Amino acid sequence: MAFIKSENLVKEYKINVKKKGLLGAINSLLIPEYKIKKAVDNISFSIEKGEMVGFIGPNGAGKSTTVKMLTGILVPSSGEISIGGLSPYKNRKAVASKIGVVFGQRTQLWWDLPVIDTFDLLKFIYKIPDKEYKKNLDMFSELLEIHKFMNQPVRQLSLGQRMRADIAASMLHNPEMVFFDEPTIGLDVVAKERIREFIKYINAEKGTTMLFTTHDMQDIEKTCNRMIIIDNGTIIYDGSIHEIKHRFGNYRIVEVEFQKEYKNLSFAGVKLINSDGNRKKFKVDQTLMQVTNLINELTQKYEVQDITIQEPEIEQIIRDIYQGGICLDKNVC
Amino acid sequence: MKLLNNTFDTIRLFARFTKLNLKITLEYKLDRTLTFFAIFCRESVNVLVIYFILKKFISIKGWEMNEMLFLYSFLFLSYSLFVAFFTGIREFDSVIYSGEFDRLLIRPVGLLTQIICARMDHCAFLGHGAVGLILFIKTSTSVGIQWTPTNILYYIVTLVGAAIIQASLFMLSSCFNFWAIRTTNLRNMIFFNSRRFAGYPISFYPALIQNLLIYVTPFAFVSYFPAQYFLRKPELSLFWDGFLYMTPIVGVAMFALVYMLWKNGLKHYSSSGTSMY
Repeated sequence: MAFIKSENLVKEYKINVKKKGLLGAINSLLIPEYKIKKAVDNISFSIEKGEMVGFIGPNGAGKSTTVKMLTGILVPSSGEISIGGLSPYKNRKAVASKIGVVFGQRTQLWWDLPVIDTFDLLKFIYKIPDKEYKKNLDMFSELLEIHKFMNQPVRQLSLGQRMRADIAASMLHNPEMVFFDEPTIGLDVVAKERIREFIKYINAEKGTTMLFTTHDMQDIEKTCNRMIIIDNGTIIYDGSIHEIKHRFGNYRIVEVEFQKEYKNLSFAGVKLINSDGNRKKFKVDQTLMQVTNLINELTQKYEVQDITIQEPEIEQIIRDIYQGGICLDKNVC
Repeated sequence: MKLLNNTFDTIRLFARFTKLNLKITLEYKLDRTLTFFAIFCRESVNVLVIYFILKKFISIKGWEMNEMLFLYSFLFLSYSLFVAFFTGIREFDSVIYSGEFDRLLIRPVGLLTQIICARMDHCAFLGHGAVGLILFIKTSTSVGIQWTPTNILYYIVTLVGAAIIQASLFMLSSCFNFWAIRTTNLRNMIFFNSRRFAGYPISFYPALIQNLLIYVTPFAFVSYFPAQYFLRKPELSLFWDGFLYMTPIVGVAMFALVYMLWKNGLKHYSSSGTSMY
């Protein structure tokens, strides 16, 4: 049984169409004209217990709106959501005690007070038993090194420290499901890595279901197995990261440094994409040509000094998808 | 039993939040002390203006100075009580704008409970409270009131009712925030102007304003009728006797109605910030 189920989810906004100029402004004030915009347009998916899912899409794709509907902040225009069998807006309180939410761009900590004050308050709000609270607090303190700044007012913390405290705060009550909204935004490489490690550890240890929205593909690649890509309010891809690489990244970049300059190099299924004297860069379509065959051919026929092979990066693939370079739906293309 | 437990939980939650809010206020001692004095002075000046003007007359329409000030004390004390519990409602647009409301929605506690608990404007609470208390102490013994247990009970219940009436007015305005309409200025205009009218006995005004203060923004139940219960000025014959006891009823009824509207408005909440997409 899936933990999260979303069926034909739609969220519409009524937007007041603004006209230009002062006269236009007065006009829109007196005779408002509305336009319906579908921020989320018929989204369906389900997530199993313990899954870690990356939820990505360009700015304005509908990610935040979807997450806000899943967490019970927004009421959907139509469609059904079930979190552990409950509807988040009809059973708001029951669902709230099962989930945790981390907003990377906003803090839930009390700005002027030490971190521990917020934690104590949360213990009370979520009615966390003493033993469980202490156990989690010790565990998070150790893994995220929160004890070092536990008694400092939040306004004095660095962004990395604040984010760690925020993540701990939303997991103190052992939520079955945690939503991360850009959990590593603005952090340095080390801080990002530490948070990813923590998230992975908790998932393995407690079996917590997790959903990430992020723009950092490394977050997704290092933590999630599954990825949902959304654009213009609809899901354009839902599957494993491995598969997306396999389907859309079925090429290799081969960079060759020859002993001398060759002209008119041409192989079947290989495209020369860059030529700089002795250095040549090829894009090899693996459906037409195996990289090993190419290398064999190169080394046998030419004097080669150095060869490097690059896998396409997920980031490049996603960029291509956003920009329309890759079409996911074969029926349309 | 469950209701009792819930009430108990709410009180404890309120105590927790109050402790934290107090801690923050103490972090900014100087700033908050100055704010308190600013509010205290502003409100005292309002009273002093009335005082000096009225000193020229022995009484107006049979109202003496102390009686007028006793009536005025209801406004301050009830506002102070209102601020103690409903700062979150008074500042609802900022609760939404700052994204705090999103946070409240993902907590397993009732929304109204959280809003009541979340914010507290100590400066306004103490500022209005101090002015009210001074006026009350000065006048309550000199206007001939017998402080019998019944009267004390009436006073407390009525004061709570008066605070709830003001909370309802603010909550009504906060409903519009759900449709992303800002009505803060309109609300302040209506609220504080009504309040200014209510600083004097409503018998001073033409019938239209009297009716507005009884039926539309019911400030007559915040100051005039409660004061009249104790003072029993002969002009009371102008109004229905029952009005003297209506303050808590008006408060609770109004709040229940507005709360229903508010709950309904919640469905239209569209979150803040980057929520559009």
